[in-house]
Amino acid sequence: MIRHGAGSGEEKLEAIISYVLIVGVVTSLVLEAIGLFLFYHSYGILAISYNSRIILRANNFFDFLGRLFSPQFSGRSVRLMTVGTAILILTPYTRAVLSVIYFASRRNVKYLAVTLFVLVVLTASMLMR
Amino acid sequence: MTLDMLSLLLISAPVGLIGALTGLGGASILIPIMVLCGVPVKEAIASGMVSVIATSSGSASAYVKEEIANVKIAMYLEMFTSVGAIIGATITTIIEPVYLYFFFALFLMTSFLKLKGRPEPGHFPAEVLSKISHWLDLKGSYFDEARNEVVPYIVHRPMLGGFGMMAAGLAAGMVGIGAGAFKVTVQENVLRMPPKVASATSNFIIGMTALAGTSVYLCSGLLNLTLVAPMAIGTTLGAIAGGRLLNRLDDRLLRGLFFSVVIVLIVQMLYKGVASW
Repeated sequence: MIRHGAGSGEEKLEAIISYVLIVGVVTSLVLEAIGLFLFYHSYGILAISYNSRIILRANNFFDFLGRLFSPQFSGRSVRLMTVGTAILILTPYTRAVLSVIYFASRRNVKYLAVTLFVLVVLTASMLMR
Repeated sequence: MTLDMLSLLLISAPVGLIGALTGLGGASILIPIMVLCGVPVKEAIASGMVSVIATSSGSASAYVKEEIANVKIAMYLEMFTSVGAIIGATITTIIEPVYLYFFFALFLMTSFLKLKGRPEPGHFPAEVLSKISHWLDLKGSYFDEARNEVVPYIVHRPMLGGFGMMAAGLAAGMVGIGAGAFKVTVQENVLRMPPKVASATSNFIIGMTALAGTSVYLCSGLLNLTLVAPMAIGTTLGAIAGGRLLNRLDDRLLRGLFFSVVIVLIVQMLYKGVASW
């Protein structure tokens, strides 16, 4: 039996974060694995490519999200790997957003400010060109 | 030696396992191997950053659930590491690749800090808090299975520790690794957090630091799907296996493994740097 300490004293937030992290990682890795399998099935090779179709590039992360279903990422295998990578990148971002919502709902102004600062920095990095 | 996706996946799994056992993380070991196999250093670093998100988020999930990682302290420290990571990743996209070999070797050397004497368990009394620690409630407790008791702790010198974590974030963003050893050293020796809480909280922070760096690499066109996918899958599976194996292995074996791996990687990156000069 696992006995717990008090942790940080925010049990509900800890449960939410734990769930978000594991669901995000498992989903993204499953998509990446299926994408790899389909890539081999379609092209018969597993060589590392430096073709522009395989390179993820966008003006910023939100632009990248917008392009996820554009012809740039044609083919099911490449699309699945791209979506898997996007979900992986979004996993810690989602937990940052949920932390802000959690502290706002608890009216904890100090940690609302702390988590908001982190979210603003992350969002700025995702908007950078 | 030429890498393909299958061989990268097959190498990533044992590397992820060794990364988890040594505390270095899979990316720290895999990036030099990829460079040795002819992968451009900047693309290897960028792919490493994505795999760091996968391995750290996977393991952090368990640490948070077991209430070993302290999410409040982590969120305070993320203010510093995320800023550091963006600066570090931006530097990487600008500078000549040859310097990265030397920076990588230099940051690997900081891993030896982990082996310096750490405060003995039990030296973390819940005494008077600093003003910031009091204001932000930077304290907590965890159940230590080895000691069979709940251990309370408080954070000391939060500003100094914050700037130490910013340096760790800069290193992580710059060379595509988690910089876990550096983060744990700051948390143990500056913030005076218990070792287990420091390791677990560091794992939790690493994912957020990596996210800040990854965004910069995405804009620079350095994220290659044929590197990212096998690396993320392999290192995460290896890290899960390593986490399960960790408590069964002798400390001396782990320490010997750590020394051997770090020294080989440092020599290899320095050699590559000198050869490319």
